Amino acid sequence: MSTSGFQSLEEVIADEHFPEVDLALRRGRHIGRDDGTVYDYLVDALDHLEPFYRRFGSELVQRSDGYFYLLPSGDRLGRRHLSAGEMLVGQTLALMYLDPATLQHGGVVQREALLQRLSGLLGTETLVRTLNPRKRKFDERIAAETVRTKVAEALRRLADLGFIDAVDDGMLRLRPSLMRFAEPVRDLSDQHAALERLVQRGEVVLGDVDEDDANGEDNGTDEDDEEAGG
Amino acid sequence: MSTDPSRLIAALARDQVNLDLKTVDLCFLAGLYLRADRAALASFEEDLLVDMFEQICDVVDPGAERPRKRATHAIQRLRDQRMLARVDGAGIVRSGEYALTRLAAAVVEYFLADEALTRESLTLLTGTLRAQLAEILAAAKRAESEEDWRQRVVAPLRVTVGDLVGGIERRQRGLDSQQEEVQAEIAKLLQADWFGAVERCQSLLDTTTDTLRELNEVLLRDTHHFVALLQEIQALASEAEQLEPEEAVQRVIEHVDRIAAWGGARQHAWSEYYQYVHRYLRDVVRLDPDRALSQRLRDQVAGWASTPFHLLVAAAPSIRLLRPLESRVERPPVTRLRTDREAAPDLVEPEDMGLAIETLVAEALAAGATSLVDVTEWVLPNFPEDSHYAITGRVADELARVTRARSAYERPWRPVEPRLEVEDWDLPTEGAPP
Repeated sequence: MSTSGFQSLEEVIADEHFPEVDLALRRGRHIGRDDGTVYDYLVDALDHLEPFYRRFGSELVQRSDGYFYLLPSGDRLGRRHLSAGEMLVGQTLALMYLDPATLQHGGVVQREALLQRLSGLLGTETLVRTLNPRKRKFDERIAAETVRTKVAEALRRLADLGFIDAVDDGMLRLRPSLMRFAEPVRDLSDQHAALERLVQRGEVVLGDVDEDDANGEDNGTDEDDEEAGG
Repeated sequence: MSTDPSRLIAALARDQVNLDLKTVDLCFLAGLYLRADRAALASFEEDLLVDMFEQICDVVDPGAERPRKRATHAIQRLRDQRMLARVDGAGIVRSGEYALTRLAAAVVEYFLADEALTRESLTLLTGTLRAQLAEILAAAKRAESEEDWRQRVVAPLRVTVGDLVGGIERRQRGLDSQQEEVQAEIAKLLQADWFGAVERCQSLLDTTTDTLRELNEVLLRDTHHFVALLQEIQALASEAEQLEPEEAVQRVIEHVDRIAAWGGARQHAWSEYYQYVHRYLRDVVRLDPDRALSQRLRDQVAGWASTPFHLLVAAAPSIRLLRPLESRVERPPVTRLRTDREAAPDLVEPEDMGLAIETLVAEALAAGATSLVDVTEWVLPNFPEDSHYAITGRVADELARVTRARSAYERPWRPVEPRLEVEDWDLPTEGAPP
């Protein structure tokens, strides 16, 4: 028996939420409970929208943490991989999301706390080199400024993707979708095996990737598939 | 006292107001406050102060030397900061008697008194406030003179009602800080006991939620009554053309509105927090009872640079909106304003000042001028005034060329015009040798 509140795909598409939800999903946004009626709409329309997006070679994924996202697997819908900066910032934010200290402020953290946590986890030099792989020599002041700029850029993109909300100047609200960054270590199995499973599902790509590709759109997925497979 | 905030702040800054209380000072004040409360003392003799300080020292700083001397300094320090006031007025005649000031009492009450808003305290306060407002309304109906309005309406509004409303606001702030403590405690419990703390956290959340809901219900119901009573008083004051009571009522209405808004805002904020923590307990704590995920994720982040992976997300481009099709675009040619470059030159009057001077000098000589001054005076009126100085030089030049001038060894200065003098020459008269 269908759990959908909609009787047909026509009704789903005719709903006032459809254009907003469809555009957001196609742009990579993760839609969670914090999004209110838009999330409720997706829950109701899931039975009809899953086959709808499958026709575009994409999977509409629902996670038990309470969020949806669209995962393109073919070449009909554009996709991109997150940059090194977005990955590092995202994983660190996921770690902060799990920290009970974040609870005290209802899941809101300061930008400064993120930078401190990043620097503490990776060490300043590793952080600088990971965010600027092409640079060989660093001036300390310039390097710190570059890290701040890259982190700010990553935060802006993560906010666009629905992983966080920028609340006020310098404050970030963490959303449950950040748990996507913790997927490789979510179960107790070996991390490499978990990563391979995620690669097969088209959730991640492995290895160093070109930052320019991460920033732009990636419509030709064959290369990525080879990279992921290899 | 001025009510302008800028003036008040400027006055505080001018007086360099500050408070510097150490732990021992606060404990001393708290000891005095509790002693006064239990023994119903209005003031303290000096010996009692010193004894109390010594007792406090035994607790706070057991090894301290010369406690009596320290007591003297502490009393002076507190007097300087307006925490203690000498009340006997005997000066040096005998040892003094001291009382805690309002400031000291407020500071101690903040640390000692549990003044958070509870359903009981709020119901009591709102009940008293409603009775008080009903009395004031009755007085307003009976008021006949300005004096009646001032004594029976304005004064109770400012003092009794003001104190009751202030009491509710103070307790609201107390509950705010209690909420912050609950939030900190939930974080601390989870930090310490993780899965074992879930039930306790849930219970803390539920207790605060119930308290806030009850308080908000009481506030919503009672503030509605307050505003209705106050508006009735205000209407009576307006009818009687009593400006002062009208303004006093307006101020109380604003306070009551603020109290009502507090309830709604806090309940909303707490609801968001409740949902967030509830989800956290369900999705994070219950699914990871050993708290292993955080450690594994920490290792993943630390090792990410050596074994990088990247999440994939959809990135469909925006729909392209094409411009309306135009088969042929007519672009206007680039043009500029034409100018007539072959225009005839302007005709102007000819100017030959030299020729004119020559002619005029010759005329002057023919007329029998006998000195440079005579010739200059003849020539200058024919030229504009601003050129007279230059013309004077050229007249002398012309004269030197056409005639032989004579001059004394000391040539005399003679005026030609009011502001012009020349060193004069004599000219040969007719018949004299050139």
